[in-house]
Amino acid sequence: MSTALAAEKPVALIIAQGGLGDQSYNDLAYAGFKKAVAEAKLEGKPVESKDVVAQAADILRRASDAGFGLVVDLEYSHGDALATVAKDYAGTDYVILNQVKPGANVASVLFQEQEGSYLAGALAALVATDTSVKGMNGKPIIGVIGGTKSVGIDKFIVGYIQGARDMNPKVEVKVAYSNNFGDPAIGLQMAKAMYDGGANVVYQVAGGTGLGVIQAAKETGHYAIGVDTDQDGVAPGAVLTSMIKRTDVAVETVVKDYAAGKFPGGKTVTLGLAEDGVGLSPMKYTHDLIPAATLTKIESVKKDILSGKIKVWNVVDQGYPDFFK
Amino acid sequence: MGVAMLPALSRAAGVAAPFALAVVIGAIVLAATGHEPLGVYGLMASEAFGGERRIAATLTAATPLLLTGLAAAVAFRSGIFNVGAEGCFYLGGMVAAVLGFALGDWPSVLLIPVALVGAAIVGGLWLVGPGVLRARLGVDEVVTTLMLNFIAVDLTSWLVNGPLLARGSANSATAPIAVGAELPRLLPPTTLHLGFVISLALVALYGLWSRFTVAGFRSRIVGLNARFSRAVGIHVSSTFLRMMVLSGLIGGLAGGIHALGLVHRFVAGFSPGYGFTGIAIALLGRNSALGIILAAIVFGALSSAGATMQLFSDVPIEIVEIMQGAVMIFAVAKFGFGQARGARA
Repeated sequence: MSTALAAEKPVALIIAQGGLGDQSYNDLAYAGFKKAVAEAKLEGKPVESKDVVAQAADILRRASDAGFGLVVDLEYSHGDALATVAKDYAGTDYVILNQVKPGANVASVLFQEQEGSYLAGALAALVATDTSVKGMNGKPIIGVIGGTKSVGIDKFIVGYIQGARDMNPKVEVKVAYSNNFGDPAIGLQMAKAMYDGGANVVYQVAGGTGLGVIQAAKETGHYAIGVDTDQDGVAPGAVLTSMIKRTDVAVETVVKDYAAGKFPGGKTVTLGLAEDGVGLSPMKYTHDLIPAATLTKIESVKKDILSGKIKVWNVVDQGYPDFFK
Repeated sequence: MGVAMLPALSRAAGVAAPFALAVVIGAIVLAATGHEPLGVYGLMASEAFGGERRIAATLTAATPLLLTGLAAAVAFRSGIFNVGAEGCFYLGGMVAAVLGFALGDWPSVLLIPVALVGAAIVGGLWLVGPGVLRARLGVDEVVTTLMLNFIAVDLTSWLVNGPLLARGSANSATAPIAVGAELPRLLPPTTLHLGFVISLALVALYGLWSRFTVAGFRSRIVGLNARFSRAVGIHVSSTFLRMMVLSGLIGGLAGGIHALGLVHRFVAGFSPGYGFTGIAIALLGRNSALGIILAAIVFGALSSAGATMQLFSDVPIEIVEIMQGAVMIFAVAKFGFGQARGARA
């Protein structure tokens, strides 16, 4: 990690399944990558492959053999291969997202999704009982649909429930899992069932399946909450807000740190509200529907999280809380 | 008439022509998008075959294709258009991965064969239905096997997002297999593993079987002319069923080898379509062992070089996909020509 030399070496970004053009995770990460590479005047290459799952070690080793100084890997299934390859190439730095892997030349990036989800839950609970907001039935009922029952997804769900309960202890949060990240039809059915059951807002944490949740909100005149990217524009007016994960900020930050000789090797970088790594969308289409007092309340909740006054539960570190077993 | 006089030469040209056409089309696309075709092809060749590590990467990429190509070929030569290897691959991969961690304390010499045989059996059983439907009722196997692919992919996707999801994993993946279940690597640190040798051996075995055994001859005659076969007393419907199940066994084994040799667990997106690429490989190789091996290596080369050449150029992955697509189209066109000729003869 000698700084002067390291910065002259090229950097690579391994694109995850789904490829560039997904208007989501990969595109967002690539945008941050391009920005950092241009500003740091580095040579940067994205690597896409249809066979990306199987080619983990081959691509990582090829980049390392060819003298790349930094390899940022977006593909989740590459975690173990990356940790193994990193041991053999002390002169190359590696970044893996959404998981922690060991190695002095490996930086792991985690997002505090529970913090952004807390804000989403708080907002959902506040508007659900507010009949001045178009389409709300006034009952404190909201919902969330997760892609799979895992700690990675429950991290979002528990933050959402906690935020909702802190605004209204009587809130009922309907929770369901689609066991699928790629089927909008399932998301549509499950969300419609929740809206039929009285839910006013449904948060989707289910990737492509979640697009069906947004569709259901649009068809039934209710609200959905988007995830990962700003999905407010998917169905303008039907998406209350989106819980954005700033993968672009994450990639941009590590590439710039690398270029400046400050690569966080061996460390876990956590990006939360404070780092602008997660947060709510600007609510371009719903901003005017929501009372100003509610938005002010959300801002003050955010400040309380930042100051440490509100501690948001992290399922990955803390296990499951009493209110969600 | 020239074709009849020079059969060997014509066959070789038949295999090479789709590649040659794909290379020409690729060159046109490259030139039109402001790239220098010769330079790009030079880089592609060196990323595919330039040195031990790159050759190993190419052979690793060719490994699943050898067997999915073989799975397609054993069915095609008997006149069964089985397109269900993709589903068998998924199921076989999942079964081998689950056995690979569930029986993790078994010794490797037992664990690996059991996991691979389990993968093959599931693949074979998966195609019993389409095999029986085709053999007994004449139900179109293209439809049944294609539909079963969707079921297999969704079934494994549900399992890996539900009951079999690894604890603590944020994404769809099973627990990793035990170290003892991993197929040995042949050229560390490259990913080339024993599965390549197994696959190559099976394709070679198929070559001997199809050429020198009675069963191999019979299955080909059934494919060439089912009515004639019936007339000379070959049990056609049982041949159909047997070849369909054999194809499924090989497809399942391919997935098992991929899980134990390379991925070391089952994950979402386990196959990017190896089963379908296998169809192109069988068509291109005209169901011959040598043809399958050559076609699998060429597709493996396109795959491995296609990924890593992006490190050294601005050529997008799409150019490789265009070339793969073009090869497939011309391979199928070739097949149609061969069929038409066969029918007239």
